[in-house]
Amino acid sequence: MEQTKNREIALLNMVQALLAGGSLAVAVWAVATDGFKSGTDTLFLVMVCLLLALVFSIGPMMWAAQQGLISNPLAADQSEAHGGNRENAVVWIALLVLTGIEVLLAYVHLNITLMLIILMGLSIIKAVLIIAYFMHMKFEKMSFILTIVPILVVLLCLFVVFFPDGMRVKNLRSTQVPSLEEQQAAEK
Amino acid sequence: MAAEAKAENLAAEWNGGVLPYKIGHRKLGMWLFIMSDSLTFCALLIGYSYARASSENWPTPFPFSPSIIFSSMMTLVLLSSSLTMVFAVAAAKRGEKKIARTWILATMFFGAMFIVLHVTEWFHLFHEGLYFDALPDEWLAKWPGSSKLFGATFFGITGLHMFHVLTGVIYLGVIAARIKKFNAEDVETSGLYWHFVDLVWMFVFPLLYLLSVDFSAVGH
Repeated sequence: MEQTKNREIALLNMVQALLAGGSLAVAVWAVATDGFKSGTDTLFLVMVCLLLALVFSIGPMMWAAQQGLISNPLAADQSEAHGGNRENAVVWIALLVLTGIEVLLAYVHLNITLMLIILMGLSIIKAVLIIAYFMHMKFEKMSFILTIVPILVVLLCLFVVFFPDGMRVKNLRSTQVPSLEEQQAAEK
Repeated sequence: MAAEAKAENLAAEWNGGVLPYKIGHRKLGMWLFIMSDSLTFCALLIGYSYARASSENWPTPFPFSPSIIFSSMMTLVLLSSSLTMVFAVAAAKRGEKKIARTWILATMFFGAMFIVLHVTEWFHLFHEGLYFDALPDEWLAKWPGSSKLFGATFFGITGLHMFHVLTGVIYLGVIAARIKKFNAEDVETSGLYWHFVDLVWMFVFPLLYLLSVDFSAVGH
């Protein structure tokens, strides 16, 4: 009885892991073949795939956590004295170093798209450091973290969905259709 | 057995009680405010990015020296103020209110310094001819057909951020002045607000300054 149950659980987890991997593969495929050329459409597809991968990976991850295969990196070790001044000073130095790298990148003049991606990546790392250590989020109760963080990430991503359209707007002003003045000049 | 114990722990994690999240209502309120405020700033920054991406031309007017070095100094000041705020919260948690007050005053000092530096920069830009609705003639000659939205987005975003810094300095001033009446969590709540202001600058600085570096002068 117990053996059958375990086998079923393992099977279910395998199916979910496969689905998660498949969703991730579709996301990678969408980025690789299209490279965000079609703007919002690809971004939407990628985000849906990533969310699906996340949902499907919950089961296998929880199973792995129960088996002790992985541990939650966010869960603070209660026995350790946390949030000490020394730790915060180290975080501060890390933030300064990351800012220094950003300024250095601005000095060497990279391609603007590459620059935007690197700067946003570094800024997100800085934001996570500030939220986790300075704002003490790492040491809050898990239910509180799960209440605040995921919804905020989803909402902010929803804003970002608009951005690629900005690059497309220029091309929407069709060059084939003559302007009103040109039409009037042609009529004369 | 172990799995059942874990499941019980998980259930306990989501149980109600007097303090379901193990934090007070003021701190929870501050987190909810920070969530909504981050959406405001996100909307502004995405609006700026959209305007920039959809414009035919966009000025990149800041020379590395002195503009970028100056704004890097502002970043350093703001990051330092975050560190002093962390020390203030730590002291308040230990119950050393006088030390906490000193650190809060240091944070206010850095905050005020940030505002002074920022206003100096604003007046410098006004002097060059950049306004909410107008670009300097030299910039228009250098980046022909560029959008006037540069001034609107630049002053809009940095202005709202500076307003947040100013509010934060006043907020910390109230906390410092009446620190005996406030408990450690109140100090921590004001710290949350201050770190959030710092956090926003971590996105404003690269997007508005580092992506607007003028390379024409250096001869790249």
